[in-house]
Amino acid sequence: MASLGRAALLIAFGLVAYALLAGSYAAWRKRRRLAHSAQNALLAAFPATLVASAILLIALARHDFTFAYVAEHTSRNLPLPYTLSAFWGGQEGSLLLWLVILTGYAALAVWLNRRHRELMAWTVPVFGLIAVFFGFMLCFVSSPFHQQPAPADGAGMVPSLQNPYMLAHPPMLYLGYVGLAVPFAFAMGALLSGRTDERWIVATRRWTLAAWLFLGVGQLLGSHWAYVEIGWGGYYAWDPVENAAFMPWLVATAFLHSVMIQEKRGMLKVWNMVLVALAFNLSLFGTFLTRSGIINSVHSFSQSPIGAWFMGFLVLMIVFSVVLILWRSSGGGDGSLRTKTKLESLVSREATFLYNNLLLVALALTILWGVLYPVLSEAVRGQTRSVSKPYYDFFLHTFGLPLILLMGLGPLVAWRKASLRSLAKTFLIPFAVAVVTGGVLLGLGFGSSWVGLLAYTFSAFVAASIVLEFVRGRSAAGGIFKLVSRNRRRYGGYVVHAAVVLFVIGVAGSNSYQTIRENGHLRIGQSMEAAGYRFTYESIKGVKGPNYTGFRTVVSVVGNGERFDLTPGQNNDPLQGTSFVASIYHDPRTLGDVFTNASLDKAGTAIDLHIFVKPLINLIWAGGFLFVFGALVAMWPDAVEQRRLAARYAAGTAPAGI
Amino acid sequence: MGASPARLVIALSVAAALAIFVVYTALAGNGVAQLTPSTIGTAKGNVLLVGKVVGPVQHVGGSLRFAVKDIGDAKPARVSVSYAGSVPSLFRTGRDISVAGVMRNGRFAATRDSLITKCPDHYAPPASPKT
Amino acid sequence: MGFGLALAAVLAIVAVVFVARPFLREPAPASDRLDELAPEARQRLALAEERDRALDALKELEFDHRTGKVSDDDYRAQVGPLRRRAAEALRALEAGEHSPRER
Repeated sequence: MASLGRAALLIAFGLVAYALLAGSYAAWRKRRRLAHSAQNALLAAFPATLVASAILLIALARHDFTFAYVAEHTSRNLPLPYTLSAFWGGQEGSLLLWLVILTGYAALAVWLNRRHRELMAWTVPVFGLIAVFFGFMLCFVSSPFHQQPAPADGAGMVPSLQNPYMLAHPPMLYLGYVGLAVPFAFAMGALLSGRTDERWIVATRRWTLAAWLFLGVGQLLGSHWAYVEIGWGGYYAWDPVENAAFMPWLVATAFLHSVMIQEKRGMLKVWNMVLVALAFNLSLFGTFLTRSGIINSVHSFSQSPIGAWFMGFLVLMIVFSVVLILWRSSGGGDGSLRTKTKLESLVSREATFLYNNLLLVALALTILWGVLYPVLSEAVRGQTRSVSKPYYDFFLHTFGLPLILLMGLGPLVAWRKASLRSLAKTFLIPFAVAVVTGGVLLGLGFGSSWVGLLAYTFSAFVAASIVLEFVRGRSAAGGIFKLVSRNRRRYGGYVVHAAVVLFVIGVAGSNSYQTIRENGHLRIGQSMEAAGYRFTYESIKGVKGPNYTGFRTVVSVVGNGERFDLTPGQNNDPLQGTSFVASIYHDPRTLGDVFTNASLDKAGTAIDLHIFVKPLINLIWAGGFLFVFGALVAMWPDAVEQRRLAARYAAGTAPAGI
Repeated sequence: MGASPARLVIALSVAAALAIFVVYTALAGNGVAQLTPSTIGTAKGNVLLVGKVVGPVQHVGGSLRFAVKDIGDAKPARVSVSYAGSVPSLFRTGRDISVAGVMRNGRFAATRDSLITKCPDHYAPPASPKT
Repeated sequence: MGFGLALAAVLAIVAVVFVARPFLREPAPASDRLDELAPEARQRLALAEERDRALDALKELEFDHRTGKVSDDDYRAQVGPLRRRAAEALRALEAGEHSPRER
């Protein structure tokens, strides 16, 4: 079985290597049959990789411990879903997941565009180039099919990974990371073929949206996991691993916006190439950041055997992208990315999109700097230094707050040029709403955090402008449904903006206006207060589980017109140690949470109760759902538009030769 | 109205973003040194201690007392840490952590709420399977 | 084990056949040249994109005007140049189509 797996991977590697080499030659020398053959090779690589994946899954399901990978990551008593999730729990398996998703996406993209030979001629080898790296790693460096004499039982899975999040969060992220390879391959393919038209953008628009959606959902799942499981009441710690997914997502957001400028005005062709290359390279970087533990220094990469390989590949892809972009943007070959169209006015939607890009990319780059700082400082000064929350928070606020404002400004401004007078008219209502909201909030005491107050005020501005867009549009189009279905991208985009507004309000509320009371020392019957609630320690009982003992307390809570009980406690696993089991109450009044943790003091007669009251935090998750809905609306195929685009490109692809 | 003012404004904005970054890092300092138990020695000032938790973990009053050793290499250095504040639920002996604070009288006095526990490394070399 | 290797062999053979298919189907084709856009075709494509952009901008201007985002004055000021741009793009495209060889 394992030999079949190895063989399947070798076949896949051979196929993508062929796609790379033959595809490049065919595109260069304009050989039709060879190009078609390379395309077929890329298509065939998917079933080959799928066979290898199926073998690993079967081996996992059967607890086949002759597979070293299965023995390292699972054990006999591991429930089936988690056993299967071990597929991506280890290094070799996650490489295989990358490859199977990559070949799957590539096959689909090639299939959908199979008639557009010229477009695919150079795209196929670029896909091949990326796949060759992963195929090489899987065949020769880090194979999931190492065999061994079967031990009686496997090493098992770390308990903290045995939860539903582990089933969903990594695959979601990978679907996003790998998805960014598709627009990248098409973009580089376009550069290589000298095609400077928008064909590549049109072909990859939905791919980019889908990858961006998966990446966003993956991050939300990860944040929620951290919030409920890890137990410090937070959901984002600016950890390098979290930043690894955030950076490409920010750049992809910038790309989604600036692509619209290219479509409407024909500008920014070079910038779009830069963005798509940056997004993909960040996604490669991010995939592998996740592999190390603490990023202390460059040494953390070399702990894993693939670290050096990965660095080499990333450098190769960066150089590849930069060289291609520079070559074409300076007019190399017969395609030039330079356009004559200029920005007509600073008061235009293009300008707001440009600012949006600037802020998003600036934020991504400052985060990148923060992530790389330990590595750089060690290389340059020999001393590892790192930055932390204050650094990231500063730039999140500095760049993020204006971004919120822009979300509201953009839709109100027309393309090309808007006169200040018409601007004033459309601005009036949202501006008034924002001012009133800000004033009311200030009066209610929200001035305690000026960042939070600004976030709320700007959110009110954006919310008002979105509502106005729907109201105005509805009367013009004759109904909301007609309005949205005729302008899917625009109104889907507005829904996504609304989701971001919810998210921002949730983040601002739970960060800037949270109440934290820690180390409240309580004996049975004693109480403490927080945020208008009274917490009384009622009782405690011991609990016993399959591999742990522990305790649960009962804390009754009264206040703000509600009463409820919380049961924070701890679990004590003789092998793994003590862990907190948080108890959370979802407060319908504030859409927030009351989050508690408890530990026993030494004598065992009293507890230390930690209370976090986080208003509005559930808007974050609600925003997540709305985000998915909005993205789906924006992505939804539009038959009318498809026909128009097909006609445009069919007309243009008349065969060469007189 | 025309190309030049727009280009100028864009250039100025990029410069402004860069300037904000430079000014911030100049004022806020160059981050904080990351040290391990074997390198912390008698380091002065605020540092970030990175290492693996060595048991036992004791609760003294409202704070935790535990020792930390180097991750990876088997170096003998140990640092005693005294920490108060939020404790992530992943925290236990054998986990890799980072915590901010200062060395004081041979002990590491940690800053409140600065404890970060790393998720167990999925990709670490495998422990020997149970037989 | 033998089954595995046999399956691997089958996989390999199928893959090779699939990859060789274009050559097997057309051992001696009339032309093996990869179609690519001639410069005129590229020019036409650029013009088509320009036309679509102009038409799209007009549609959007109408919509924005109807929903009140663009004032009457602004509309009047912009619709003229946009219509002209669209007409020019259409004309350029037609000229290209009627005389692709005249340069």
